[in-house]
Amino acid sequence: MPLRRLLPHYLMIAPFMILFAVFFLYPILSGLYYSFHAWNGVTKPEYLGFANYQKIVLSRDFATAMRNLLTYVAITVPLGVLVALGLALLVDSFVGRWANFFRNAYFMPVVLPAFLAATIWRWIYAPNFGLLNMIIGWFGAQSINFLNDTGTMLYALIAVDVWVSAGFNMIIILAGLKEIPAELYEAARLDGANKRQQIVHITIPMLGPVLFFVVTYGLISAMQVFDKPWLLTGSSFTSYGGRRNALLFPVMDMMGRAFGGVRFGEAAAYGFLLTLAIVLLTAAMFGLRRLKGWA
Amino acid sequence: MTAQFSRISVWTVLKWALALVVTAIALFPIWWMINVVFSLPGEPVSINPRLWPTSIPAGVEKIRLIFTETDYLHAYCISLLYALLTIAGVLLIGSLAAFEFALFEFPGRGLLFGVVMLSLMVPTAVTIIPTYLLTSQLGWLNTMRGLVVPGLASAFGLFMLVQFMRAVPKDMIEAARLDGASHVQIYWHVALPLCRNALVTLAILTFMQTWGNYMWPLIVGTKPAIYTVGQVVGLFNSPLSHQTVDMVMTANLLAAIPPLLFFLIFQRKIVEGIAMSGTKG
Amino acid sequence: MSTLSKFRFGLAGLAALAAIGTAGRAAAEDVTLQYWVYSDFGEGDALRLQQEFIKEFTAKHPGVTIDIVAKGDDDLTAGQVAGAASGNLPDVFMNAQSVGAQLVEVRALDNIYSKWMAMPESFRAQFDQDALKGCMPKPDELYCLPYTGFGSLLFRNLTVLEKAGVDTSKPPATWDEWFAQMKKVKDAGMYAIPDETLVFNSIAEIYATSGSTESWGFDWANKKTKIDPAIMAKVLKKFVDMKPLSSGTSRNDQATKDLFISNQLAFHTVGPWVNPTYEEAAKASGLKYDFTLIPGDEPGKTGGIRSYEMVGVAPGPHADLAFEFAAYLTEKAQMARWAKLLSRYNANAAAMADPEVAALPLIKVSVDAAHGAMDVAAPYFGGSVPSCYNSEVIDMASATADGQHTPEEGAKELVSQLNDCLAQ
Repeated sequence: MPLRRLLPHYLMIAPFMILFAVFFLYPILSGLYYSFHAWNGVTKPEYLGFANYQKIVLSRDFATAMRNLLTYVAITVPLGVLVALGLALLVDSFVGRWANFFRNAYFMPVVLPAFLAATIWRWIYAPNFGLLNMIIGWFGAQSINFLNDTGTMLYALIAVDVWVSAGFNMIIILAGLKEIPAELYEAARLDGANKRQQIVHITIPMLGPVLFFVVTYGLISAMQVFDKPWLLTGSSFTSYGGRRNALLFPVMDMMGRAFGGVRFGEAAAYGFLLTLAIVLLTAAMFGLRRLKGWA
Repeated sequence: MTAQFSRISVWTVLKWALALVVTAIALFPIWWMINVVFSLPGEPVSINPRLWPTSIPAGVEKIRLIFTETDYLHAYCISLLYALLTIAGVLLIGSLAAFEFALFEFPGRGLLFGVVMLSLMVPTAVTIIPTYLLTSQLGWLNTMRGLVVPGLASAFGLFMLVQFMRAVPKDMIEAARLDGASHVQIYWHVALPLCRNALVTLAILTFMQTWGNYMWPLIVGTKPAIYTVGQVVGLFNSPLSHQTVDMVMTANLLAAIPPLLFFLIFQRKIVEGIAMSGTKG
Repeated sequence: MSTLSKFRFGLAGLAALAAIGTAGRAAAEDVTLQYWVYSDFGEGDALRLQQEFIKEFTAKHPGVTIDIVAKGDDDLTAGQVAGAASGNLPDVFMNAQSVGAQLVEVRALDNIYSKWMAMPESFRAQFDQDALKGCMPKPDELYCLPYTGFGSLLFRNLTVLEKAGVDTSKPPATWDEWFAQMKKVKDAGMYAIPDETLVFNSIAEIYATSGSTESWGFDWANKKTKIDPAIMAKVLKKFVDMKPLSSGTSRNDQATKDLFISNQLAFHTVGPWVNPTYEEAAKASGLKYDFTLIPGDEPGKTGGIRSYEMVGVAPGPHADLAFEFAAYLTEKAQMARWAKLLSRYNANAAAMADPEVAALPLIKVSVDAAHGAMDVAAPYFGGSVPSCYNSEVIDMASATADGQHTPEEGAKELVSQLNDCLAQ
C-alpha cells in the first residue's frame, strides 16, 4: 500500500534522476577515481594516492589562483547583488512601458554570449585609445592599461562581471519583489514609514529567500569563474592567467592542466579541491540562513 | 504641500537620470559593437571611435560575406535545434522532478535532492572528459542527441524550479486531490500554470546557456555538419585568423541576435507571469 | 574503490548495449578521411586551394573522400586530445610542433619514419632540414611533416620614421641602430614599439637579437632551461630600455595593428600574417610600410623566431592513406602553389627556391628571416612544456621592465624558476 502511494513520486523524478545519474553522477564519480591516478585520457590510469592533490596544493600557482579567487568572490558577489537589488528597486519604481523598457535594457548584457562580451570589453579597456582611456584622457589623466596592469586587472574583470550578472540577478529579485503583498506596504505607510524605512523593514526582509538564492548561486558560479578572465587575458592552453597570473583562477588552471598538459587526473584532483571549497562555503551560507532563520 | 511636491519631483528627476545612465552603461557597449560592424573595414579606432554607424553598406557587405563564406546559416539551425530541444527537455524533466521535491514527502527525498545540489558545486572541467567518453561509447559523437541529452538533467533548473514550486499553496493541491485529480493532473493543471513565470525564465536562461556553450559542442561535434554558431564564431576569434576585427565583430554580432530576439519575444510572457503571481499574493 | 569500479563496469555494459543498437549502420563503405586544419586554412582563397589539393588527390584515389575541417588553435588541440581519448581522431591534422609531445603522449601521432623512408629521396630532399629536425626527436622517429611556418619580421611604418627624422632607406643593421631609431620616434611624440614583454613570442623575438637556439629552449634530459643568464640579463636590460618607448599594447593585439595603421607606431615585430591587413590599409588609407629582418646585436645577426606548423597522421586503419595524403600536401608542387597564392613561407625548401616563389618580396625576406631566427620552443617532442614556463618568462620580463628587479637579478632568478618549473 505505501509503495503504491509512493510509486508516482518516484516515477515523476525518474527521468531526471536517471539522466542525472548517467550524465552527471557517473562522470563525477569517475572524475573522483581519476583524481587519484596519473591519467592522460588514453593510457591506463596509474594509481598515485593523494599525489595529485599534494602536487596541486604545493604548486605556486595554486596559492595565486586561490588568492585571486577569494578577492574576486569577496568583491564581485556582494557588489553584483547590491547593484542588482538597486536596479530591481529602480525598475520597480517605474510602471508600464518604462518599467518594461528599463528592465529589458538592463537585462540585455546577460543575453550576450561570453566571448562577445569579452571581445567588446577588451576594446573598451585597450590602452591609450580604448573607450575608457579616451574618457580618462578628457580629464587629462594618464592612460591605464587595465588588462595588463596587475593593480587593475582584477577590478577590470569584476566590472565586466557585474555588467553581465546584474541584469540576471535583477530579474530574479524583481520576481521576488512582485511577490511581496501590497498590504504590508499599506500598513507601513499608515504607520508613517517613509520609502527608505519601507525598503529596510519590509522589502529586504521579505526578499530574504530570493536574496539567499541569488547570493548562494552567485557564490557557486563565481567560484567556478572561467570564460571571462580566460578571454579577457587572451589565454590559451599553453599560456594563461594574464600578466603575473593576476587573472589566474582555479578552473583556468584545471583546463590548462587537462588540455594543455594532458594530465586529466591532476585536473580532476584540482576540481575536487575546488569543489571542497565551494561545498564549505555553501554550507556556511546555509548555516547562516538557519542561524538567522530566513525562509 | 509645495515642499512635498518639490521633493517628489527631485526624487523623480534623480530616478530618471539614474535609470537613463544605467541604460547607457548597459547598452553602450552593444551599440558600439554594432557601430564597429557598420563602418569601413580597417579604419583604426583612433581615427574613427565608432560612436555611431559610419557605413551601412560596409556592414551589409560584411554580413553578406559571412553568410556566403561560412556555413553560418546551417550553424544557426543546429544551434537553434540544440537550444530548443534542450529547453523542452530541461523544462519537462526538471519540472516533473521539482514538483515532487518541492511539494511532497517521500523516503530518500532529502538525500536525492542533496546529491543533485552537490553536483552544482563540481566544476564542469572535472566531468567534461568522463561525460565525453561516455557519450562516445554510446556512439553519440557528432549527433544531436550527443549534444542535447547529457545536459538535460540540469541541477540549476531543478534548484530554481523547486524554489518557485515551494510557493504553490498546499491547500490548492489538497483541494484538487479531493476533486479527484490524479497526481499527474495536479502537476499539469495546478503546479505548472502557477510557476509559469519561473518556467519562462528558466527557458530563457537555458536558451542563453546552450547558445553560449562552447566546450561541449567543440569536443562532441567535430564535424562541420554539426557545428554550432559558437564554433563557427570560434574560427573568426582564433588569434591568427586572417580576419580583421570588423569581420570578427560581425560574426559575433550575428551570434548574439537569436538570444536577443528570444528574450525580447518572450519577455512579455515573463511580465504576464510576474503580474499573475503578483495579484495572487 | 571496488564498488566504484563495479559501478563503472555496469555503466560500460549499459553503453555497450546501446552501442549494439546503433552498430548496424557501420557498413563497409568507401574511405572518408578527416583532415583538420587551422582556421585560416578554412576560409577564402586558402580554403579553395586546399579543396583543389583534395580534389586532385581523390581523383587519383577512387573511393576516397576527404573532409576538410577548420578549427581555431586551442580547439585543434582540445579536439585532438579528446579524440585520442575516445578513439575518434582525425586522420590527418595540423597543429604546432610545440604541442607535439602531448599528442605523442596520447598516441594521436603515428611514427611515420618507415613510411617516410619508403618515399623517394627526391621527395625527402625537398624539406627544410631544420624544420624536419623539429619532427624527429630521435634518428628513427618522425612524428610529423613540417608544413607551413614563419620567421618573424620587423614591420616598419615609414611615415612615422620619416616624421621622426629617421633615414628609412636602410633598415637598421644592429640593435643599437634600431634602438636609437626607437628613441627618435618617442622624442617625436609617437610610439616606437609594442610592449614586447607581454607575449612569450615577442620576448623570444627580442631574446634572439642576442641569443640563439643554443641558448634558448629546453634541455629535456636534465629538465633544465637552456636560457643563458648572461644573455637574459642583456635582453632584460633591453626591455627596461624599451619600456618608456612602448605603446603598452602587445604584439598580438588588434590595437597594435590599429596604431601602426594610423601612423602612431613605428615598429611591429610579428609574423607575416599581419601583412594582408597592412597591405589593405596601404590601399585604403595610404599606409606606407615595409618589412625587413629584425636586427641583432652584431651586423649580420638577426633576431626573431621561427616556428613551423606540422601535419601529422593518426595511427589506425587508414594511416597509410593518410600519410600519402599528408605527403601529397607537403610536396613541392602543392607548397609552391600555396606560397604563390598567399605569399607565405613554408617548410618545403624546394618550393621556396622556385624562381617564381622566391621573387615574392614577403617570401624572400621570410626565407632569410627563418634562416637567421631562433626556434621558439625547441627541441620539440622531448616533453610537454608546463604552462608555468611561458608565464614565468613573461612575468619576469614584465617585472624587470617595471623595475622590480635589476636585469642581472631578474635573469638569475628567472633561470632558477624555470628549472624549478621544468623539474615539477
